[in-house]
Amino acid sequence: MQFSRRRFLNQVGAAGGSAAVYQMALAMGLMSGDAKAAGSFDGATPGAGLVPTLNRDKGERRSVVLLGGGLSSLMSAYELERAGYDCTILEAGHRLGGRNLTLRSGDLVDEMGNQQRCEFDDDPNMYLNAGAARIPVHHHYLVSYCRALGVRLETFTNVNYNAWVHDSNAFGGKPVRFRQYLTDARGFIAELSAKAINAADLDAEFSTEDLERILAFIKSYGDLDPNLIYKGSNRAGYQQPGVLSPTAGMLEHGHLQEPLDFREILKTDFWSYQMYFGDGEDQAAPLLQPVGGMDKIVQAFVANIKSPKLIHAQVKSIRLKEDGVSVVYQHEGKHKEIQADYALNCIPKHLLVGIDNNFPTEYTTALRAIGRGKMFKIGIQMKERFWEKENIYGGISWTNQNIEQIWYPPHNVHGRKGVLLGAYTWDQSNAEFFARMSPEQRFAEALRQGSNLHPDYAKYAETAVSVPWHRMNHMMGCTASWTPETRKLYFTYLQTPLNDRHFMMGDQISYHPGWQEGAFSSAHHSLTELGKRVSAELGGAA
Amino acid sequence: MGLQSHSFGRRVRWLTCWMLISIPAASLAENDYSLVPDAFVYCTTCHGVELKGNVSVDAPRLNGMEGWYLRNQMLAFKNGHRGTHPEDLIGMEMQPQAAALSQEQIEDAVAFATALPVRAHTIERTVSGDAARGESLYATCSACHGAEGEGNKLLNAPALAGQSDWYLVRQLDKYRSGARGYDPADTFGQQMKAATAVLTKDEDVQDVVAYINTFEVN
Repeated sequence: MQFSRRRFLNQVGAAGGSAAVYQMALAMGLMSGDAKAAGSFDGATPGAGLVPTLNRDKGERRSVVLLGGGLSSLMSAYELERAGYDCTILEAGHRLGGRNLTLRSGDLVDEMGNQQRCEFDDDPNMYLNAGAARIPVHHHYLVSYCRALGVRLETFTNVNYNAWVHDSNAFGGKPVRFRQYLTDARGFIAELSAKAINAADLDAEFSTEDLERILAFIKSYGDLDPNLIYKGSNRAGYQQPGVLSPTAGMLEHGHLQEPLDFREILKTDFWSYQMYFGDGEDQAAPLLQPVGGMDKIVQAFVANIKSPKLIHAQVKSIRLKEDGVSVVYQHEGKHKEIQADYALNCIPKHLLVGIDNNFPTEYTTALRAIGRGKMFKIGIQMKERFWEKENIYGGISWTNQNIEQIWYPPHNVHGRKGVLLGAYTWDQSNAEFFARMSPEQRFAEALRQGSNLHPDYAKYAETAVSVPWHRMNHMMGCTASWTPETRKLYFTYLQTPLNDRHFMMGDQISYHPGWQEGAFSSAHHSLTELGKRVSAELGGAA
Repeated sequence: MGLQSHSFGRRVRWLTCWMLISIPAASLAENDYSLVPDAFVYCTTCHGVELKGNVSVDAPRLNGMEGWYLRNQMLAFKNGHRGTHPEDLIGMEMQPQAAALSQEQIEDAVAFATALPVRAHTIERTVSGDAARGESLYATCSACHGAEGEGNKLLNAPALAGQSDWYLVRQLDKYRSGARGYDPADTFGQQMKAATAVLTKDEDVQDVVAYINTFEVN
């Protein structure tokens, strides 16, 4: 039976909802998800459908004040300026870009009570993406702006089958290769499933042919032997000589590794999410990173925005008026006041409530209801890329210690030195564990823990820079923490422009806080809403 | 002594600087605020505009707080009498900030904070307890902190009226659990820890703070 494309899409929609239709339509080339497909690529426009509709005001120019210099503000200023609006960006800190932060030689780390200078070698390859660090290719706005603004991208390796899985409670505290852990875990589960299938009476559900194919599926899924027993797999790597051995193994038959004891696998927590982490919506291959550091994105926006972009400009008061917004801020030793038609605001919601305002009580209640996440990163300059000698090129090793993760730089392969990420904590208590230490203590502790994965780890370490996001000046938090309850109560409310004049935005006002795409999506929403209001004021004359 | 007179000189320079800049400014709105010296932007990041406090980052109101008490507490943080107990995660956020300041910078910070005009209209009352019940519990407190929560410098007891009420609750809880007043060298903290023995239940804390909320702030 011949399916029409429309019918096919309808069926996809029935199964997966409208998002599935959209994704499928993009894949079939029916919609313009990127600039080229839309035929509108002019080197500076991301593409139809991605740029919000902003009516050009033919008479007096409208003004917008952008509070906070994060990515949502930069994108908004870029688009508004091109549509003929007067923009001013006010950023309290010493730099633009928010949590898109790349640290290089000499950079200031403005941590409360622990200001540091980055002492990496002055070399374009020696950097730490201390905030945002990966770009999923389906993050349309982000990728499209990179394309439009000429930000070169390269492959980022997230999952590495050769990286280590370490758990102090299992395998005698010795790390095992991810490939071995994964393959042996699957082998065991497949063997168990095969036994269950053979034992169960599934006649009512499956035909004999179905059952045969299910068993074949399980056998190949777990790499079971003809008797449906798991006895090891080359996917897990060989004993010497062979894959991952110190000698080349192509000239003789390798010996399979003894499968790991499944009871040891069970002792780890790795299977609870890290094992399939790389299947995640925003984590699955392929991923990208800008060549030379994530802040190339910030630099590209900054180079293309002519409007004033003030740093060290701390906002004191935001007052909504009938016909606009009044903002008082301190800059260069003076107080100044801006009257603007609109305010787009990406100041972290937990700091915004410390600023004078005339918001209604429920708005403040909503802002206060969203928690501030705590995350910690430490970048360590290593004088040799020792991990490459362990067959590790990019990717992540995982451990149950406070450091949680070690990331190996995917770029500058076989270079002399490298900056690796020596800790990246998602558990709040681990962020607090490191935050309470001095930078020197953090460095020492990260080395101590990393040595449980890599012998001689500390021997290679030269200098480190650490970033507890909940202790950074003008940030005091990382990813916004929403609960299902607060989402239900406040998300739409905070997304709605207050008085038609004040627009909360940023990754904090998205379903993907902590992702740059969340910031761009939120900015897009705000600009669209702003565009609607301008259109309404112009009475359809535009 | 030399240090102190030097810092006093600096303070005077700042104060003069503020007057020169803020008096001629035309706009009313601009005059509503005090210029923050670069070194103390950190204070207002967390403690809010004019140090009015910010519950979202657990930073209490400092506006209107006595200079001597601010100094005592900055020193307590610096010396590790506060914010080093493993259960006091919030105190730990302030501790390294104070530890990074020299004695002179602490004096400057105190001068900055106490020079801000008191803005009683920004005091928020968030605690709901039984104020009538709290009144009887407060009898113990009043000996040092005064019948109207006005404080008593001679006894090193700060004013309670006008402090962030959620902060008072948290501090009383910390004294009760031993996360504050834990250091034998912290004489005043240990006194206060002992005094909180009268608050035997969580609701006692809510009630006594609800009563403190009834005090007038001038």
